[in-house]
Amino acid sequence: MPHTAEEQRETLLEIRNLNVTLGGNHILQDVNMDVKYGHIHAIIGPNGAGKTTLMRSITGGMPHTGTIRFMFRENGRIGYVPQLLEFDHSVPITVFDFICLMLQDFPLFLSRKKHKLKRVKEILEVTDSAHLTDRLMGSLSGGEFRRVLLAQALVPLPEILLLDEPASNVDEVGARQFESLLLRLKKDHGHSILMVGHDIQRILDIADRVTAINRTVTFDGSPQELKDPARVAALFGLSAMPLGAGAANLQQETS
Amino acid sequence: MEFIYNIISGWASAGYLPEIFQHTFMIRGMLAALIAGPMLGALGTVVITKKLSFFTQTIGNAAMSGVAIGLLFGEPVDGTYAGLYGFCLIVALVMTFVKNRSRLPNDTIIGVVLAQVLGIGIVLMTIVTSQFNIHQVEAILFGSLITLNDQDLLALAAASTGAGIIFLLFFNRVMLGSFNPVLAKARGLRPVLLEYVFVTLMTVVVVSSLKLIGALLVLVLIVVPAAGAQNIVNNLRQFVWVSILFATISTAAGLFLAGFLPVPTGAVIVLVSSFLFYGSLLLKPFITKRSVTQA
Repeated sequence: MPHTAEEQRETLLEIRNLNVTLGGNHILQDVNMDVKYGHIHAIIGPNGAGKTTLMRSITGGMPHTGTIRFMFRENGRIGYVPQLLEFDHSVPITVFDFICLMLQDFPLFLSRKKHKLKRVKEILEVTDSAHLTDRLMGSLSGGEFRRVLLAQALVPLPEILLLDEPASNVDEVGARQFESLLLRLKKDHGHSILMVGHDIQRILDIADRVTAINRTVTFDGSPQELKDPARVAALFGLSAMPLGAGAANLQQETS
Repeated sequence: MEFIYNIISGWASAGYLPEIFQHTFMIRGMLAALIAGPMLGALGTVVITKKLSFFTQTIGNAAMSGVAIGLLFGEPVDGTYAGLYGFCLIVALVMTFVKNRSRLPNDTIIGVVLAQVLGIGIVLMTIVTSQFNIHQVEAILFGSLITLNDQDLLALAAASTGAGIIFLLFFNRVMLGSFNPVLAKARGLRPVLLEYVFVTLMTVVVVSSLKLIGALLVLVLIVVPAAGAQNIVNNLRQFVWVSILFATISTAAGLFLAGFLPVPTGAVIVLVSSFLFYGSLLLKPFITKRSVTQA
């Protein structure tokens, strides 16, 4: 296949021969992939395929073998939005408090709110969530919560954003808003975004590149190549669906 | 210390303070209450956020063994500091280590250790109480205004000053790590290390407050003021300040009342803090701006 201009883009993240074994289970096997600058790169795969394990390996939270190499141009910062943020919803932490805890070392309960309010609102404005400043974290809807998490991940400005299942626990409208936000970040700031997702249609709409994994890489290419439902079904191991020639091609490609 | 006691008892004699503050033990107790209250109230906000309430109880229970160990190793009956601080710190740090290394839920680990320190405590107490005055042990269990001495007050002041400074330096990071460790780690913090720091602080302050409040009751003073504050506050800043206020009122008013009643100080402090908790619960609908579970 000839190299397109997109494939000539500079690589930001290079993963080679990544292996993760936990409790005797080989969760990830010889994973190889590249993430390019300025791309929205999606990782898809069925449940239990190792998507979150891959993300945790990239963020340094999972012991692994192989190499994960970032080729940063500037500050080398990674912005991370976790899949689940488990916390006690009764703890009285507002969105303002939450952002401030990350902005300053000076004890929050001794500092005056008005000194930081402008800065916090500016941070939240990027993800259209400035109006949530005084809301308690435990009272946010799934979509609002995601936007606040994304806002914190953008400070200081990262070179790559890692999003783990950004559409989970978010309703249809919230998911759409979030997607347009990601597209805007990419367009306005040239953000590179690596996201794990399970909603294929959504991902095909916004991603520049898709890597499918099921313990190992089963597909790596442009989202257009996944327009064939049979191919997607094969990637997700849905044997009940007619797989047809697409599945056969995929087998050849991944073997 | 005598200088301070003389000044304060002078105020009491002149009618500026209630008459009961002419007694040195009351002044000493009130000073201890005014140091321990704010510190326990502030730490309580993190304890609640980290869900460490029963962790605190385990440290209280470990104190029984700590006193017994101190006595067995020849420490004076009114100053078993090495045994107390040493054993309680070991228990706290081992529990944190097991919590971070094991997949067991937090409450299971605490249950296991709580039972173990109780077992050790009962065995050692049985040995110790055949040789020593049982009232010294009672003072640790329930808090005692009478047996609180200058050494205890100085130990509390030193522990609270040290813990207070470290608490201020690390508050934001500890709170973020408590709120969600995964996110804290992704932002370059070390939540496990921060947890060790916090647990050490908490243990030192709790152990220093034991003579005033009592090992069996100290849990209440670290949890109830923060829980009461949680009923009526709208943000983290208010959470910390109201918790400090409730804890200080509880210790000071509890101690004042205990001066008139022939009952352990800790018990009265607990009753005052419980009163504040239920009062805040009743006031909740009138004070909080919004529902936490709006979504």
